[in-house]
Amino acid sequence: MGTMSEFANPAVYVVEGLLVFFILWKILSARRGRQLFIRRIPGLSVLDEAVGRATEMGRPMLYAPGLSGLDIVGLQSMAIMSHVIKHAANYSTRVIVPLADPVLYTVAEEVAKDAYTTQGVPEQFMAEDIRYLTSQQFAWASGVVGILHREKVATAFYFGYYYAEALILAENGQMVGAIQVAGTPAITQIPFFLAACDYTIIGDEYYAASAYLSREPTLLGSLVGQDYGKLLIIGLVLLGVGLVTLKVIEPHVPLLHGFNTFAYNLFLKYFPRT
Amino acid sequence: MHSLNYIPLALASGRYSSLILLAYILGALVIGIAFLAGLMATPPRYRKIVVMLVTFAGGLYFSLEFLLPHNPIYIGKYMIPGSRGVANLANGLTAAKPSVADWAMIIGSFALLLGVSNLFQIHGKAVRKKTPGWYNSLAFFITFFLIMIVGFLKDYKLGFLGSHNAAAFQAGSGNLYNILFNGFVQSLDATMFSLIAFYIVSAAYRAFRVKSAEAALMMGTAGVIMLGLVPVGAWLTNWLPHTGFFASMRLEQITYWLLIWPNMAVQRAIDFGLGIGALAMSLRIWLSLERGSFFDRQL
Repeated sequence: MGTMSEFANPAVYVVEGLLVFFILWKILSARRGRQLFIRRIPGLSVLDEAVGRATEMGRPMLYAPGLSGLDIVGLQSMAIMSHVIKHAANYSTRVIVPLADPVLYTVAEEVAKDAYTTQGVPEQFMAEDIRYLTSQQFAWASGVVGILHREKVATAFYFGYYYAEALILAENGQMVGAIQVAGTPAITQIPFFLAACDYTIIGDEYYAASAYLSREPTLLGSLVGQDYGKLLIIGLVLLGVGLVTLKVIEPHVPLLHGFNTFAYNLFLKYFPRT
Repeated sequence: MHSLNYIPLALASGRYSSLILLAYILGALVIGIAFLAGLMATPPRYRKIVVMLVTFAGGLYFSLEFLLPHNPIYIGKYMIPGSRGVANLANGLTAAKPSVADWAMIIGSFALLLGVSNLFQIHGKAVRKKTPGWYNSLAFFITFFLIMIVGFLKDYKLGFLGSHNAAAFQAGSGNLYNILFNGFVQSLDATMFSLIAFYIVSAAYRAFRVKSAEAALMMGTAGVIMLGLVPVGAWLTNWLPHTGFFASMRLEQITYWLLIWPNMAVQRAIDFGLGIGALAMSLRIWLSLERGSFFDRQL
């Protein structure tokens, strides 16, 4: 087997090229007006219920983007936050956003301001609701726990990158009786959210959230392109499993040697094992 | 010092090096503030174009740095014409990576000031209006300035105190800093971290209530894994042989199998989905195709 390189190899050109092609192709076809279907995601369908509950109880909502910085995870979290704030603005419900990254804080402030303006209620934007707490992991967690208890939030959204603080937040949310919705690309934290939250979106549903909530053709098209990409990955995994199995049984079937060498040079050597 | 790479060495190491460094820092600040002010003053229509171009250039840099071949390409003995130039370009882009990282850090430093100003705004208002729990906000100001001042003093010798007194003062500041940081901050961090143990118990209690077939399956699997990871698990099935077919029935072997095969397969499947999702999101942001949050209404 080859070794890992920090730069692209021919397999990366082909696979990444195909993934990019699928995504752009589907975005363009969606923008041309093609109707696309998106399955129901329970954790995101509950948004109206969650906002309604907070409104009825007269309590604020909390939207915590975790320890995300200004990266893809953080930007996706901001996209979801924008939709949450737009929903909340319709019912004049406060959304408190505690942040752990100063760069993301500046983006969050602008996104929140824009969301209120879009809904025609710019006066509802309160600068102190978009709060930079600290960049320290557990100091941030204790700050958010404090907000959960002091403000007695009715609904808590946890969308972003989380580490060990995930369970601390979700358990304290349980204690104050908040309805909790979580989504994180941090695989190690998903079980904790599953155990402690009412709804958890898993894996790439995190990146599907903005498409699901906005139903924008561009985002829906991108989502369908991602599904084609997943089919491609499944195909590659099956092909790899087949070829590696043939390699393993080669000592018992010497006839396979020529084919295996050909398959290795053409395919397997470009997928090095770490 | 990495940052001195930008300053001509003859100037940086000379007699006025501190002054020159200060001038560079102030110059960079002025240019940065002027650029930001210019961007803010630009009409939104044009600002959008500037943001799109900068985003595209940033994405292009990292794409090319990763995708371009870093060595000339040969077919047999013959080098593909132009591939050496492409490799040189790729290596140049890689060499520039630390500088690009510095740029990102500088932009982050600007934002840190905004973050601190937000903290001052919120806690200042709480102290001014004496809202419930205002004393916590006062504690913020006291600790903020205390650790900042002590942090500076521990690294700076106050010459006007005389060499003996200055050294003693510096040592005292160092001790106080250690008490504040190692004694308070680290201990409070550890306290929060250790709370997780209790939360795991209460979360596990809720998660393991058998309410459906799936919950029962999870409960059973979790039970096997927990037993397999503690000595009593190994002891329970110690009567089984260590080799042969029945060895795979030992609890620690079942645990290992569950973690390495079904669990890892699911984690990798989630990882693939996440990877493709992140790629799609990156592509949309890079090409300014993201809608509804960043590129259509806000700017």
